[in-house]
Amino acid sequence: MSDKEIIIASLRRVERRIRANRLFTELSFGALLFLALPLLLKLWDLVQPMRGVTVSIIAGIWVLLFAGYVAWRVIQKGTLEQAASSADQQAGLRDELKTAFWFINNPRPSDWVDAQIRRAARGAESMDVNVLYPRTLPRTSYIAGAMVLVFVLLNFVPLPWNHNWLALQAAPAFSLTEKEIEILKQTEELLKKAGQLNQTELTEKLEEIVEQLQEGKIDAQQAAQMLDDIQNQLEEGNLDASSINEGLEEMAQDLAQSDQLEPTAGAMQNRELNLAADELRKLAEKLGMNTPEASKEMQKSLQQAAENTRPGLEELAKMLKEAAENLKNDKQQQAQESLEGAAQQLESLQARIDSQQLKNMASQQIQSLKESLQQRQQQPGQKGAKGEQQAGGKGQQAPKGEKPDMDARGAQPGEAGSEGEPTDEAGEQGQPGAMMPGGAEGTGLMPGGQGGTDAPKEGDATSLDVKLQQEKVEGMQDGGEKPENIEETSKMERSRLDYRNVKSDLSPAQKDLLNQDRIPWEYRPLIKSYFEAIRPTGKKQDK
Amino acid sequence: MSSAIDRQVTTFQEQFKRVKDEVSKVIVGYGEIIDGVIMSLLASGHVLLEGVPGLGKTKLVSTLSDVMHLKFSRVQFTPDLMPADITGTNIVQEDAMGKKYLQFQQGPIFSNIVLADEVNRATPKTQSALLEAMEEHSVTVGKTTHKLDSPFFVLATQNPLEMEGTYPLPEAQLDRFIFKLKVDYPTVDSLHTILNRTTKSQEPKVERVLDQGEVLEMRKTVRAVPIARPVQDYAIRIMMATHPRPPYAPAATMKYVRYGSSPRGAQALVIGGKIRALLNNRLHVSCEDIRALAYGALRHRVLLSFEGEAERVDTDTIIKAILEHTPEPS
Repeated sequence: MSDKEIIIASLRRVERRIRANRLFTELSFGALLFLALPLLLKLWDLVQPMRGVTVSIIAGIWVLLFAGYVAWRVIQKGTLEQAASSADQQAGLRDELKTAFWFINNPRPSDWVDAQIRRAARGAESMDVNVLYPRTLPRTSYIAGAMVLVFVLLNFVPLPWNHNWLALQAAPAFSLTEKEIEILKQTEELLKKAGQLNQTELTEKLEEIVEQLQEGKIDAQQAAQMLDDIQNQLEEGNLDASSINEGLEEMAQDLAQSDQLEPTAGAMQNRELNLAADELRKLAEKLGMNTPEASKEMQKSLQQAAENTRPGLEELAKMLKEAAENLKNDKQQQAQESLEGAAQQLESLQARIDSQQLKNMASQQIQSLKESLQQRQQQPGQKGAKGEQQAGGKGQQAPKGEKPDMDARGAQPGEAGSEGEPTDEAGEQGQPGAMMPGGAEGTGLMPGGQGGTDAPKEGDATSLDVKLQQEKVEGMQDGGEKPENIEETSKMERSRLDYRNVKSDLSPAQKDLLNQDRIPWEYRPLIKSYFEAIRPTGKKQDK
Repeated sequence: MSSAIDRQVTTFQEQFKRVKDEVSKVIVGYGEIIDGVIMSLLASGHVLLEGVPGLGKTKLVSTLSDVMHLKFSRVQFTPDLMPADITGTNIVQEDAMGKKYLQFQQGPIFSNIVLADEVNRATPKTQSALLEAMEEHSVTVGKTTHKLDSPFFVLATQNPLEMEGTYPLPEAQLDRFIFKLKVDYPTVDSLHTILNRTTKSQEPKVERVLDQGEVLEMRKTVRAVPIARPVQDYAIRIMMATHPRPPYAPAATMKYVRYGSSPRGAQALVIGGKIRALLNNRLHVSCEDIRALAYGALRHRVLLSFEGEAERVDTDTIIKAILEHTPEPS
């Protein structure tokens, strides 16, 4: 190798090492900055779980940006001049390589230049790149590694609302409560059992609805409608249970008139149709051993039972009738076959009844799930991810009869002096709203003024199909027309005025007297609505 | 060929060292000043030594002339010194026939080494008498131009300008000095050595170690040293940064400088850099050489503005700012 080649080869080695070290440092630092985003997002996810779509979009943008950054840094190459300058500095060569490289690129006929290049080549040869530019792990790489570890650990934090992003899991768009999940499981089990009894693919449909709901493809209202459809499908082809029961009862009574058919009748009365079928089969086997009187008696009983043709029992009645006719005509073989057919009909009926029961139970569960979803749809303030409704405040438990739009406010710290109100819904359904005694002032000798900590606790909300009707009471001048909602204006929007402490000239004792609560809280809405009802309207007053 | 160059470099270093060692026998504690003076001689330039009286400036120059086989003369500049006292003059002579004629009587400037002692004590008119000699190595009297012997080397000393009875050197003359070296007080250790040497009955003797031919050969060696374009570019950018104009000037230059260095400043940087490279056994000039010489080569070429003088800004401060502001070529 010539002196020039030695120098250039050395500079190339130096340039590669500088680039590698630079890349490692820059990528470590870049990773440090870029990792901060997913780490913070994951931490935020633990507080407020994010949906899969959100996580996917952020992750996609993150990957693109990081890839762009890596590409940008990788394509940046240093020049050999820069390598020469750096090597001079690192090896203390005082611009020897830089000068030599310049003279290599700009040759001139000079012994001094040749000598200079020769000296530089000797220096370049003795240069150890590993010593001048050792491969070291930058501190940022340790931090970046630690951040990756923390990120991975955060994904595996055993919290119920934590989702492992690494396993492509994220918070669903709609979270079911534990109660709803339990209902769902029970429903699915029931539907599967019903499916074993020759039922449809409703389980899959239900799972599909829940999946779509969790993915945010449909909202709770749409889910409720789809559950309605499932309910309708479950109800399709329902047996008329009462008619069948009555029919079976009547048939049993008819069959009980015959001694041979009594066990069968007993089983039918007990709705043990499989047992009844077995009894019929036993009877059919012993048909030849019966006396003519017994056969006649049996034929009569079967004939009477066959006359009872209720909906759903037509086939059974037909078989019993055939059996009776065959017995009458002494066709033992055919009679046995008819009894066997009747036994099969009983078994079939038993299976249908069982399936019907399961479907009814499933339908009930679906109804509960539907109601729960509808209720949550009306409560936008609920914490979607955790499925927990937090009634905040310093001591005020949000009443169940509260308006839906009050829910969000219910999660805010309650004002100690604010007075509770009976809600619209409570008023309509006759459920008393929580009337919170107000008044922060006073001596505290009288009840009230403590932010509603003594407010009565209510049980779970119940849905009543019956609404209390506004009764016309004596003195009502408008014939029971809907009373004017005097609070409507104030409900249009929140007051923009701050609460102020209104000074009063009253003594504390007087205030306490004014704040006395002598009317039980549960009667307040009733009293209020009474006085609103008898209040003369403005129209009447004008007259 | 490489070994020949190496020998040439070695010889250069040895000769330089010999001169320095001899001078150091008399002058103590001024290693850098001695280096600067010898470098100025080898760079075909002149040097201006500035310092308060009594620091050994004159002694240094006279010692240097003693160690070389060169013709030496000394001119004590005083306010009443006339140009003709330096350059020489035509005087009336009478031949054997009694015919009178004018004959040029050479002044002290006709030497190889001229010591212009306390050069700023003479009037500007007299100071200007050196201009032609320093740049063109010739003296014109009347219609006749007289060439000076080579090497021609002016060593001027001056007291700081703040002292009474001094005249600042004109810019044109300042620019002709390749380096301006500031002679500061010696250290305590150096003073001990000085006292030990100068208070004894026998003063140290120096030997002549360099003749005229060797000096010229050394000058030739210096000029053979190659310099790469990036390094030369660095020297030019530093020189340009002394001018209060963008894009090279730092803020300090823009604020405090009226005029910057002439191209002679860059020449001084490069030629000085070559000498320094040889002394450091290198065959190329580095940016470090340029930086090391920047103060000596540029401090007298930077003329302060009114603001700079009003705020008593030192030109070394400005050069320091320039060095910090000018990046090395990568």
